Amino acid sequence: MASYYLRRRRPGDTLQTSALINEAYLRLAEHKNMRWQNRAHFFAVAAQAMRRILVDHARSRNAAKREGRAFKVSLEQAENVGQQRGAELIALDDALNELAVFDQRKSRIVELRYFGGLSVEETAQVLAVSAVTVKREWRAAKLWLLRALSSEEQN
Amino acid sequence: MTPERWQEIDVLVQAALERRAEDRSAFLAQACSGDEALRREVESLISYEPQADAFLEQPAFAGSVEITADEQQRLLAGSALGRYRIKRRIGAGGMGEVYLAADTQLERTVALKVLPVEVAADRERMQRFVQEAKAVSALNHPNIITIHEIGQFDGTHFIAIEYVNGETLRERLQRESLTLAETLDLAVQIAAALAAAHEAGIVHRDIKPENIMLRADGLVKVLDFGLAKLTAHRDEQLDGEAATRAQVQTQPGMILGTVAYMSPEQARGLAVDARTDIFSLGVVWYEMLAGRLPFAGETTSDVLAAILKNEPAPLTEYVPELPEELERMVNKALRKNREERYQHSTDLLIDLRDLKQELAFAAKLERTAAPTNNDKATAGPTATDTESQNAQTTSSAEYIVSEIKQHRRGLLAVLALLLLVAMGLSYWSYAHRAAATDTKQIESIAVLPFQNASGNSDTEYLSDGISEALINSLTELRQLKVIARTTAFRYKGKDVDPQAVGRELNVRAVLMGRVRQTGDTLNVQVDLVDAATGAQLWGAEYERKVSDALSVKQAIAREVTEKLRLKLSGEEQQRLVKRDTTNAEAYQFYLRGRYFWNKRTADNLRKAIGEFQQAIDRDPNYALGYVGLADCYVLLEQYAGVPASETLPKARAAADRALQLDDSLSEAHTSSALIYQRMWRWAEVEAEHKRAISLNPNYPTAHQWFAGYLQTKRQFDAALREIKRAQELDPLSPIISDHVAWIHLLKNDLNAVIEQCQRNIELNPNFPGTHYLLGAAYLKQRRHEEATAEFQKAVELSGRASQWLSPLGYCYAVTGRRTEARRILKDLEEKYARREATGQDLARVYAGLGEKDQAFAWLEKDFEQHSGLLQIITSDYSFADLRSDPRYADLVRRMGLQP
Repeated sequence: MASYYLRRRRPGDTLQTSALINEAYLRLAEHKNMRWQNRAHFFAVAAQAMRRILVDHARSRNAAKREGRAFKVSLEQAENVGQQRGAELIALDDALNELAVFDQRKSRIVELRYFGGLSVEETAQVLAVSAVTVKREWRAAKLWLLRALSSEEQN
Repeated sequence: MTPERWQEIDVLVQAALERRAEDRSAFLAQACSGDEALRREVESLISYEPQADAFLEQPAFAGSVEITADEQQRLLAGSALGRYRIKRRIGAGGMGEVYLAADTQLERTVALKVLPVEVAADRERMQRFVQEAKAVSALNHPNIITIHEIGQFDGTHFIAIEYVNGETLRERLQRESLTLAETLDLAVQIAAALAAAHEAGIVHRDIKPENIMLRADGLVKVLDFGLAKLTAHRDEQLDGEAATRAQVQTQPGMILGTVAYMSPEQARGLAVDARTDIFSLGVVWYEMLAGRLPFAGETTSDVLAAILKNEPAPLTEYVPELPEELERMVNKALRKNREERYQHSTDLLIDLRDLKQELAFAAKLERTAAPTNNDKATAGPTATDTESQNAQTTSSAEYIVSEIKQHRRGLLAVLALLLLVAMGLSYWSYAHRAAATDTKQIESIAVLPFQNASGNSDTEYLSDGISEALINSLTELRQLKVIARTTAFRYKGKDVDPQAVGRELNVRAVLMGRVRQTGDTLNVQVDLVDAATGAQLWGAEYERKVSDALSVKQAIAREVTEKLRLKLSGEEQQRLVKRDTTNAEAYQFYLRGRYFWNKRTADNLRKAIGEFQQAIDRDPNYALGYVGLADCYVLLEQYAGVPASETLPKARAAADRALQLDDSLSEAHTSSALIYQRMWRWAEVEAEHKRAISLNPNYPTAHQWFAGYLQTKRQFDAALREIKRAQELDPLSPIISDHVAWIHLLKNDLNAVIEQCQRNIELNPNFPGTHYLLGAAYLKQRRHEEATAEFQKAVELSGRASQWLSPLGYCYAVTGRRTEARRILKDLEEKYARREATGQDLARVYAGLGEKDQAFAWLEKDFEQHSGLLQIITSDYSFADLRSDPRYADLVRRMGLQP
C-alpha cells in the first residue's frame, strides 16, 4: 500500500507543477487582506492549502469515477497520478484527521513535511520546536500512519 | 485512543527505537510491566520501522517550497548519482536539495547539494562559482566547510560537501540561549573563517545562522561560500531597488530569513564587499547575545527599512551585564556606513581574540586568586565558596566566571584549575621544605630515548614518543636546561653510562626508561639518575593500557619535576598539562606524526601529515596537532617541491587554528613565523619569532628558524648568534648542525664549514644536507673533484631530490661539465612539470651556465607562483653572479626585501 509514496516522481510531474501552484495561489488569495505574520505562518497556511487541493481533487475524481462520468480537471496533468494515488491520498488525509484527534502536533508535522514540502528544520521553525523534536515525532507519526494505512488496506 | 494513552505509547516507542533491535523486546517486557495491550501496541508500531525511512519522504508535490526552482527533481534513497549513493534528503532551500550520500569510491559520507537546473544552466555564472568554491576549499580552513567535488552526472549538477554531523546555529539558537563565553567562541571561529576567505578575496554574501554549522565538539563550520552570488538575480547590477526585489523574488522560500541579515548596501542592491559579511556577522552576533534580531519587522520591506534607517536597541537592554567593550565591537560591525565598520575581518578577529583572552584571564584571576588568600589546607572548598559569592557581583570579569560556571565544560575547567592550584601549592611547599634541608637543585637534565623493550619496531613511536613528550614538557620550565630531542636521540639504542652522558652533555641528571608493550598493556619503567654520582634519584614503574599512554607521560612529567625540586610557577605547572590532548588516541597519532616529521624527507613529511590529521580528527581542539600539521606543510615546498600556493595556505590555516586554541604556544608562533616568512609577509615574521622565543627560550627550532630569517636579510652575524644558541640547546641535531655550517658558508668562513661538516658526518653520515654544504665549501676552494663527489653523495642519499640535484647541476656547469649540467636541467624540468621542483632549482643551474635570461625566467616563474623558497637568492652563493643585474634588484624588491 505504501508503495506509492516510495515511487520516484516521474519527470513529467514537475513540468505541470505551475498548474498546481496557480490553484494554490488562488486558494491563498482567498485570504485577501491577510498579512502574513511571518514566514512560518505563510508555510503553515500554504501546506494546509496544498493538502486541501490535492485531497479535494482526489475525492472529486473518485466521486466522478463512481458516477461513471468522464471527468477531466486541470489538475489531472499536474499530478500525473493514477486512481490508486487518489485513494491513497484520501486514506492518508483521513488517517491524519484521526491522528490529529489525539496528537495535533504530529499531524501538523506530517502536513508541513509531506504536503508543504518543508524540511525538518523548516518545520521546526514553523512549529517553534527543536529539529530534534520534529525528527522524533515525524518518525513516530510515520509509524502510526503506516499502520493505520495498512490495516485499512487489510480491512 | 485518548491523548493520554497515546502519549504513553509514544514515549515507549521512542525509547524502544533508541535501543538496539535485539534489546527491544526485553526492554518493553520490563517497561510495560504486565500491560500486555500496551506492549502489543508499541510492538506493532515498531514493526513498521523498516518501511518508515522512505515513507512520505517525497513531498506530495515537488516545488511547494522551491516555487521558482520548479524543474527540480527529487532523488530517491538508494538511487545513485555518479559514484554517490543517495541515503536520504536532509534539507532544502533556495539553493536546491541537500542529500546525505555515500561516496562509494572514497567510502565516506558526504552532503550532496543538487543545484536547480536554471542555476546550473547559466554556464558563466556557474564557472565563476566553481572557481570561487575551489579557492575557498583550497584554504583548508578548519572553520570553512570542505568542498570535495563540484560535478555533474547525467545532467544533474551537484556539489559534494564535507558532511558535518551537528546542528546549525539556527537550530542551536532555537534549542537554548547561549552563554556569553559561547557566543564569543562562536564569533571568533566565524570571524576566523571570514578572515581567511576575505584574504583570498572571497566574500560570503549570505552569512546567517542557517549557514553556520556547529559540530558536537564545538568546532564551527561556515557553509556555502559564494553560493549567494550564484543564486542572486542576473539583474543585480542594474539598480538598487529592482535588484533587491529581484533577489527577493528569486528566492521566495528564503526571503525573510535572508533579509534580516542583509547589510544596508545589500538592501540597496549596491555592490557588496568583505564589509558586508562583517555586517551580517554583526547581526548574527547580536542575535546570539540578545536572543532577537537587531532589525526586525513584520514584512520584508519593514525589515529592509529597519536595516537602512533604525539603530538597533542597545544590547545592554537584553544583556545588562554585557562588557562594554563587547557592545562597542558589535556596534562597530553593525555601522550602516561601511566606511565606519571594521574594515577587515582580521581586525575584528584580533579584537575578538583580545577580548576573549582578557575575559578568560580575568576569569582565571578570579579563580586562582581565591585559594592563596586562604589557609592552604582548605584551599579547595574555600575557593568554591569564594566563587559562588563572586558570581553575585557584577563586574564583567565575574560575569564571565559565572557564565562559564553555568556551562558544563566550563565547570570542568574550573575544577581542573582548582586541582592545579592545589597541586601548585603542594609543590611550592614541598620545594620550600626541600630547600631548607637540601639546597642542591638540579638545573639541567637529559631525557634519553626510552628503550623499546617490545622488540617490535611498530611500538617504537611509543617509546620515542613518550621520551619526546617528556622533553617537550620539561622544556617549558624556565629554570631547567633540557637537552633537546635530536641530541638526546643520538643515544638511541645505545647502552649508555649515565655519568658519561652527564659529562658529554654537561647535565646534572639523566632520565632513562624502558617501554614494553604486551597485548594492549603498556609497561613503562623510568630511572632518574644523578649524573655526578651515578646514584639513582628516583625510579618508578607504570602499567597502563596502550590507549592511556598520555596519562603515563603526565604522571612521569609530574613526578620528575617534583624530584628535580623545581619551584614551578602556576603557569608553568599548567603548561605541563595544557598543551596536551586528553584524547589518548589523538596523542598517539601526534607522536607518530612527530616521529615521521623529524625524519625530514618528502615521504615522511606526507606520512606525518596523515598522522597529525588523524590526531586532529580525534581531538579538534588539540593545538599541538595543528602545529604539527603546519610544520609539515611549511616544509613541503623545500623537501618535496610542491608549489607554495598549495601548501602555505594550509600551513597558515593550521597555525591560525593552533594559535586560536592556545596563543601561548611557542611552537605555534615558531611555525607561524616561518609561514609568514615563506609568504613574504616580512612585517609579521620578526614579531612572531620574538614572541615564540619569549614564550619558550628553550625551543631550539625557534632559534634555528629565526637564524634562517636573519640570513635572508643578510644579517649573518646575528644569524650565527641565533643558530649557536639553537646548537647549545640541541648540540647533536643534524639539521641544526648543518645550519651552523650553512651560516659559516654564507660568511665565507670555509674552514669553519669544513670542520663543522666533518663533525656532522661523523655523527650522521647519511644526512644529505651535510654533503651539500661540504661540497659547496670545496667548490669555493676550487677542489672540484672533491666538491663533485660530495654533491653527488647528497643526490644519492636523498633519492635524487631536486633540492640537491640543483647544486650538483650548478657544480657541473661551473666546472666545465656543461653536458652533464644540461642533463640535470632536463631532469629538473620534468620534475618541475610534476611539481617536484621549484623554478629556483633550474635557475641555479642556468646561473652556473652563465645563461642569465633563462635563470631570470625561471626565477620569475617562482615569483609568479609566490614560491616561499625564492628568498634564498639573497644569500645563496650560486646566485652571486646574478646580483649585479638590475633584474635581480627588481625581483628582490618586488618580494618586499632590500636588494
